[in-house]
Amino acid sequence: MKHELAASPSRPSDFGSFWYTVGRELSDISPSVEEEWIPLRSTDYADLYGVRVQSLGAYSIFGYLSVPKKQGPHPAIYYAPKNGSVLEIIPQGTANQIRERYMILSIASRGMRNSDTPYVATYPGQLIDGVDNPLIYIYRSVIADALRGLDYLVQREDVDTSRILVYGNDIALLVGALHGAVTHLVTRPAYFFDSIPNAIRTSTYPLEEFNDFLQCYPGKAENVTNALEYFNLRWHASAVTAETLIMAEPAGSAYSLEILRDLESEMSADVTMYESRNSTYKDGMYVERWITDRLVGADSAAILPNCWN
Amino acid sequence: MGINPNHVGSLVKPDDFDVFWGEVMADSNRVDPDYLVERDDLRSTDEVEVHQVFYSSIDGIRVSGWYAKPLDNTNKLPAMVLLPGYQSDPPIPKDWAKKGYACFSVSPRGKVRSRSQFDPGYPGLLTHGITSRVEYSYKGFYVDAWKAVDFLKTCEEVDNNRIGVTGSSQGGGLTVVLAAMRSEIKAAAAGAPYLCGFMDAIQLTNTYPYQEINDYLRIHPEERSLVRDTLAYFDVISFADKVTCPIIVNIGLRDNVCPPETGYDLFERILSTDKRLYEYDGHGHDAGGYLHNTIIQTFFERQLR
Repeated sequence: MKHELAASPSRPSDFGSFWYTVGRELSDISPSVEEEWIPLRSTDYADLYGVRVQSLGAYSIFGYLSVPKKQGPHPAIYYAPKNGSVLEIIPQGTANQIRERYMILSIASRGMRNSDTPYVATYPGQLIDGVDNPLIYIYRSVIADALRGLDYLVQREDVDTSRILVYGNDIALLVGALHGAVTHLVTRPAYFFDSIPNAIRTSTYPLEEFNDFLQCYPGKAENVTNALEYFNLRWHASAVTAETLIMAEPAGSAYSLEILRDLESEMSADVTMYESRNSTYKDGMYVERWITDRLVGADSAAILPNCWN
Repeated sequence: MGINPNHVGSLVKPDDFDVFWGEVMADSNRVDPDYLVERDDLRSTDEVEVHQVFYSSIDGIRVSGWYAKPLDNTNKLPAMVLLPGYQSDPPIPKDWAKKGYACFSVSPRGKVRSRSQFDPGYPGLLTHGITSRVEYSYKGFYVDAWKAVDFLKTCEEVDNNRIGVTGSSQGGGLTVVLAAMRSEIKAAAAGAPYLCGFMDAIQLTNTYPYQEINDYLRIHPEERSLVRDTLAYFDVISFADKVTCPIIVNIGLRDNVCPPETGYDLFERILSTDKRLYEYDGHGHDAGGYLHNTIIQTFFERQLR
């Protein structure tokens, strides 16, 4: 039987100071950037680099940076860390030629491959690692890692800082809220919007991780609920200033358009809501067009996978 | 561009394909699996019991997986092998267990929880050892996957005459491999099959993961024929004429990862007479999963229950 807890969302009283402290701790750490060219993944239109930067706790995180060979500055896409073990250069199924148009950074937060020394995360598993205490919850550090990745990107002289798009799940929105450099945001919430109330309504991972934890440790329910409020997109939404595309799951899903209307109402930025058509082709076409319009211009063609042209 | 209606698959199945895989199977059968099965209290519920499973495969690699079964199993259960995608992490198959199946979700070498001894990474796995059929990463990867069947056969609640296999993308390709190599498989459902028509796919796509092979050949153009020769042994289409069980295949006609042309090639060469292809127009690598999942459930209900 599922846990019974479904308290109303409540913004922690020290929400601002909690995240201010994360930012301050991060700023105290030198990024100590290391870059290494990767010839195997470089083409005649883009170079690829492996990048290492120091994050919270002097933890070394890894990323892939793809740099167009043509003259910059370039609009940039930052693929925020995801809840999974694999770090991709660009998401599977994306036309490789977008690397000619955009500076692209993808970061593996701690626990993911290439950022797993000394901490190796499991998936599922990471989402509940320390979840009953916001100060030790692994996502406090994961989000710091994501912010540090963007710190690295925006200090590059070949990046056009008027066109920086962050793309990803919940962490993308958190980066948009906590980092002032984001000009555009594409987010597909999957676990941090009113996490517990929405977990109760599903048995699908990743939200099911919270159900697993609470049915195994029912005595920690209040602590878990309170800890997750620091990460609740609801309380971060108003801080996002970037023009935003919110990608909702199909009707009937945990994060359907109907559910995410509540998130939209908390946003102060210009927001486009999109409901999945249950087709990676149709959804992909829409988001590629949205990004192209905003980073390049409505008169430019989106760069698409071969079979989408 | 869409689908190329004039596409003709270029794969030539090696003459000694069966000899090669027969030797690999013999090697596989000589391995002591040394099973370790640990109940996972965190993920078990009042409906479903979840276990973490570990076993040995060829090259001394320890392989992991998730085993989920319904708590109500007084009668022998039909069983499923669930096979993972390329870059996704293997799921815990509680949903299959809730439907009354004993289900094993395998994590072959290099994937999460099976990568302490072998980890070419992502990108990386697709080209690791690609110039030698003996060294190629997918030799062990295929073995790790098919040994999931051996594990299920050790479970006393499993009816060994009712084992099915399914997966999408890489899981779809592996589904065909298992249906070909393991006579215990009684039904198979393969979605958006990957690892099919490698040398055609790298021409048809401009996306990862097939892009990994183009990356490799750009650096090592002189090795093209070696790569082609190796991949012919691992091309899922080469396994297709060994599949005799009932099988369904679904493809997206706008698949940007696994070209539909290679899905057609695969289906054409499947030997089973009890086969059906589901084509989903307007769908990409999801291959119509939203609509097709019900068809998969009905198919296995009919074949295994």
